Amino acid sequence: MASAGEFLLRPRSWQRLARVAGYATVAALDPSSYGPAARELAVRQIYLTAWRALPGYLAFTALLSVVLIQIADGALRAYGLAPYSLELVLRVLVLELVPLLTVFFVAFRSGAAVAAEIAVMRVTGELEDSAESGSDELRGELVPRVAATALSVFALTTLGGMLALAIAYWSYFYTSRAGFFVFTRVVGTVFDDLELAGLALKFFLFGAVVALIPIASGLEAERGRMKSVPAVVLAGLMKLFLAVSLIEVLVLMVKYL
Amino acid sequence: MDPKPAGSGGPAPRSMGVKVGILLAVTVIVAIAFVGYVLYARGTFENFQRLTLVADNVEGVTVGMDLTYAGFPIGRVRRLSLGNDGKARIHIRVPESETRWLRTTSVFVMEVPLLGGARLRAYTGNLQDPPLPDRAERAVLRGDANAEIPRMIATVRQALQNVENMTAQDSSLQQSIDNAKAVTARMAGKYGVLGGVLGSEDNARKVIASIDRANALLANLGGVSLKLDAVLAKTDQRLHGAGGIADETQKAVAQANTMLSEVRERLVAVDAILAEAQATGGNVRAASADLGALRAEVEASLRKVSLLIEEINRKWPFERNTKIRLP
Repeated sequence: MASAGEFLLRPRSWQRLARVAGYATVAALDPSSYGPAARELAVRQIYLTAWRALPGYLAFTALLSVVLIQIADGALRAYGLAPYSLELVLRVLVLELVPLLTVFFVAFRSGAAVAAEIAVMRVTGELEDSAESGSDELRGELVPRVAATALSVFALTTLGGMLALAIAYWSYFYTSRAGFFVFTRVVGTVFDDLELAGLALKFFLFGAVVALIPIASGLEAERGRMKSVPAVVLAGLMKLFLAVSLIEVLVLMVKYL
Repeated sequence: MDPKPAGSGGPAPRSMGVKVGILLAVTVIVAIAFVGYVLYARGTFENFQRLTLVADNVEGVTVGMDLTYAGFPIGRVRRLSLGNDGKARIHIRVPESETRWLRTTSVFVMEVPLLGGARLRAYTGNLQDPPLPDRAERAVLRGDANAEIPRMIATVRQALQNVENMTAQDSSLQQSIDNAKAVTARMAGKYGVLGGVLGSEDNARKVIASIDRANALLANLGGVSLKLDAVLAKTDQRLHGAGGIADETQKAVAQANTMLSEVRERLVAVDAILAEAQATGGNVRAASADLGALRAEVEASLRKVSLLIEEINRKWPFERNTKIRLP
């Protein structure tokens, strides 16, 4: 029985990921990929990934925001750096933590499910990982899931980020409108061109890896071997974690170094 | 939670599509609103006035930093550049709504605290002055706590070096202290401070002997001056006392004067008689010639007496202060 580590380190497995990514890109640009069945699948995927997760996700984001803001503001105030507190909170919370939190939320909630689903379809022979990857099954299963997962990540990150922003305003100024001027200036300072570009790039990359890696991993399951399913699902999550961490670090390096 | 993965069920219920539609619509609206808010926050929809601050050093200044007036941010650093003259330039954009705080007389200060970033501040003394024109270039004054530290350390090190030099074994301060010790030791000796000042007890003894001699001399002098006083007093007595020389002389002169005055009066009388006699004795012509000679003789005597009186008066000035001053 193959272990998750084997799948993680196997170069063939990363090659497959690149191939699936290329194929998904081509398919996503093809209008014929968006049939009624594909739309149905995408809606179901978004419903499960984003809508059903939304209350828990927003509650957790709110809790994390309140706790982090209190810690950061308290610490900076103690050092006499209170004027920098709001900027730090916006940078850390809205730009870094909320997107990261979203990716892991989506990955563990639906990424694992998608990987298992694809793996089972592979094992039962329902889905062929054909070399001539033009098969309608793959196209029909792949493109809606990738698009739906990417959209879910985008929706959750946007709503979570706005919630964090609102909580930040409430934490610093409560319901007073007097803080709007100061808050707006800090927002204008934090979200400069580089940050907005970095945020957009991160949205795109996070959506792509969260959508693609579980599917590509699921395709690695061997036909007729049900026992390979847990290994490929776990390997998919580990690969996803690795990829997300790398993206985060690279974006941070580009922004601050 | 639905254990069934997506895609494995039948057709999605209608409500699912509605919910997903709402979610996506809200997301798109929120995202657009956020981008709009960020653009507004960055002043995309506002007109700006440009201001360039010139400084020797812009260390600690970053793009996006605020220019504050009275603690309120009124502008933002957009760009930093180094001019051909070697001076750094801070390009600032001030929204038109805030330009009223900047006047031609405004002063700009860059403050670099120990902790935290630099701060740019604007001060305007008189808000009635003409407004600052667009693309104005102004020098910025720099108050740098960090730059002060190396200077302070250098000064402190210098001071410590000086202290070390002063306290070294062969330093001049040490030598001075040694000398002071020797001097105080002498001062504590038989001749006290004098010994300390003069360097040795021998010299001190000589000085004391000299002083003693001088004292003796002064005592003698005192005696001499007393005697001199007595002599002078006596002289004074003799000269000016009742019956003294001066007194007698004065009396004698006065008498002589009186006598001479009387002689003059008589001579005047004789002259008058003679003149009468000359006038009455018409026939005694011959005798009148004699009388004339006689009269001339009398007049000569009279002139002599007058001269004598004048002489005496001149030589003995009775009219003046007769007191004689003695030294």
